Amino acid sequence: MSYALIVAETRRGIFEERNLDSIGICALLGKETAILLPDGQYSFNEKLVDSIIRVKADEEVFLNPLNMTAIIEKVSEARGRPDLIVFTHSSSGAESAAYAAGLFGFPVITDVSGYDKERGIFFKSYYSDKLFGEFKTTGGATAVLTVRSGSFKEFAAEKAAAPREEVVEGITASDSRTFVEYVEEEKTDIDITKADFLLSVGRGVGNKDEIPAYEELAGLLKAVISGSRPVIDKMWLPKARQVGTSGKTVKPKVYLAMGISGAFQHIAGMKDADCIIAINKDAEAPIFQYAHYGIVADMHKVRDALKGVLKG
Amino acid sequence: MNILVFTKRVPATQEEELRLINDGKDVDFSKLPFKVNDWDNYAVEEAVKIVEKGGGAVTAVSIGNTESDEVLRRAIAMGAKDGFLVEVDQALHDPFARGALIRNFIRKESIPFDVIFTGVQSEDDQFASVGGILAALLKLPYVSMVVGIDSVAKDHMVVRRELEGGLQERVRVTTPCVLSIQSGINEPRYVSIMGIRKASKVERKSFKGIEYDAGKESHIELVKWVYPPKKGGAQMLGGELPDICKKLMEILKEKGVYQ
Ligand SMILES: Cc1cc2nc3c(=O)[nH]c(=O)nc-3n(C[C@H](O)[C@H](O)[C@H](O)COP(=O)(O)OP(=O)(O)OC[C@H]3O[C@@H](n4cnc5c(N)ncnc54)[C@H](O)[C@@H]3O)c2cc1C
Ligand SMILES: Cc1cc2nc3c(=O)[nH]c(=O)nc-3n(C[C@H](O)[C@H](O)[C@H](O)COP(=O)(O)OP(=O)(O)OC[C@H]3O[C@@H](n4cnc5c(N)ncnc54)[C@H](O)[C@@H]3O)c2cc1C
Repeated sequence: MSYALIVAETRRGIFEERNLDSIGICALLGKETAILLPDGQYSFNEKLVDSIIRVKADEEVFLNPLNMTAIIEKVSEARGRPDLIVFTHSSSGAESAAYAAGLFGFPVITDVSGYDKERGIFFKSYYSDKLFGEFKTTGGATAVLTVRSGSFKEFAAEKAAAPREEVVEGITASDSRTFVEYVEEEKTDIDITKADFLLSVGRGVGNKDEIPAYEELAGLLKAVISGSRPVIDKMWLPKARQVGTSGKTVKPKVYLAMGISGAFQHIAGMKDADCIIAINKDAEAPIFQYAHYGIVADMHKVRDALKGVLKG
Repeated sequence: MNILVFTKRVPATQEEELRLINDGKDVDFSKLPFKVNDWDNYAVEEAVKIVEKGGGAVTAVSIGNTESDEVLRRAIAMGAKDGFLVEVDQALHDPFARGALIRNFIRKESIPFDVIFTGVQSEDDQFASVGGILAALLKLPYVSMVVGIDSVAKDHMVVRRELEGGLQERVRVTTPCVLSIQSGINEPRYVSIMGIRKASKVERKSFKGIEYDAGKESHIELVKWVYPPKKGGAQMLGGELPDICKKLMEILKEKGVYQ
């Protein structure tokens, strides 16, 4: 039986919304769909899939590439090899997808954000969305995909019948990699997710010495300052100020992005802002595709001119 | 502890216009500056920090054309002992092919290691898969998105990996293993021109990719490159700076975030 196997991503009891994109791409491909879930009660629209395979393993065991490959092997023994294995393009999804592809010798395409049904072509971003590659798998083996969140969820549709339930048992957790504990982010007094107006700076800021002038501008505008990952990695702003998949998801009234290129991991964290204004010196920067207003200029010059205006 | 760290030379494209040539079969790199892959810079630093503290040696490996020697000199300037270049003259667009090439190279040359580091992803291709594929091909445990190495013992390490929204997971992994290092794990040291010049005196070894069946194990085919789909895009505010500022302030007032 030909089918697509979706590895669900769950985190501490929550069925992640981005699984809908995995379901969506399977629907777009016209595949019969089985979803793998770890132990626990997860709330989602079960009618979107044909089968639910419940694995008798904790979340932390499940989302471990060494165990996930053992689970996939068990499923393949029971119901035949899937012709597609779909993960979300996230921390755990990308980790297990690459490992599974390597172990089974399957083709892998990651961060898939489009599919052309007629030509059988997958689209994948290059250079943070400045280009896209068109890919085909060769040889007919099972393809492993990781899917970009937000790309396919509109294709997910309810099936006529309720899903069949299956169970996978007897998974022995690997002892070469074991879960120890979760580590929470340190609590801070500032919560960028509550701000109405965020002034966000990216790598284009250039160096640490420029930061105070942006803090001053944020003060004058009564905006809260935030940043893209490189700015946080370099410790120019604290971690709590990071916007994006590995930082905070924000929905301010206005998101003013200065010197941010618009990589998907950043966009995913701010795309739902009411109004996005982007300032970038590169007219081709991908962020202009998501922004409502755009300014092609040197961010420092705009900063200084704005400060001039605000100080009267 | 002997650490093998992979480092890649990539075009710096953030501020550059990318032009497709030959009907989308190629990208015009002729005018682009090149640099070390950001993620690999963090990986090299982490490897060097570990051996500085606990002993051992770091070997940097790059796959590419002869110009990739530049990132090896850089790694040596940061503290790597050796630099190996595996020369391939044809692009391997399939991360599987790249993982397989690396495995063949390590096995055939009997390269000793306790741990292998790669970056989480490369800035150009962004597959984020070479580390995982390599680990599986070598039958070694794997951890990606590593944002902290808490302890290094004789037969295992305790590391932190990044999940999402600021959450991390602490895991214990036995060695030998493959780790993919996430940006921000450390503060990569500054590399001076003098340092690189000195590093040039350290002999780097060069290997021919063809000896390791470069490109044999490809499972995906790159049909061509295309420009991103246009999504309508932003309304552009043009004019001189004072005009731009005026329009910007009007928008902020209209949206009710500034009075
Ligand atoms: C697992 C994972 C998780 C990640 N999580 C996140 C995340 O949570 N948040 C996040 O932001 N990123 C995240 N990233 C990183 C992401 O892929 C990008 O690398 C990052 O978003 C790029 O940040 P940037 O736009 O500031 O820098 P760049 O991409 O380097 O862009 C800098 C921009 O500034 C412009 N610029 C330069 N100088 C000027 C100037 N003087 N004036 C105006 N414009 C200028 C340039 O044209 C360019 O567009 C993650 C990556 C991975 C692999
Ligand atoms: C338009 C274009 C043209 C290209 N032309 C060429 C070419 O002519 N010659 C060529 O050699 N490559 C070329 N490449 C690059 C090649 O296709 C990629 O390196 C390959 O697909 C592997 O990258 P990845 O995204 O799978 O790695 P990822 O899985 O994203 O990278 C993860 C990590 O793996 C390691 N790694 C990956 N690749 C290398 C490497 N080369 N050396 C050392 N460590 C590495 C790094 O540590 C990296 O951080 C080209 C790429 C593009 C986009």
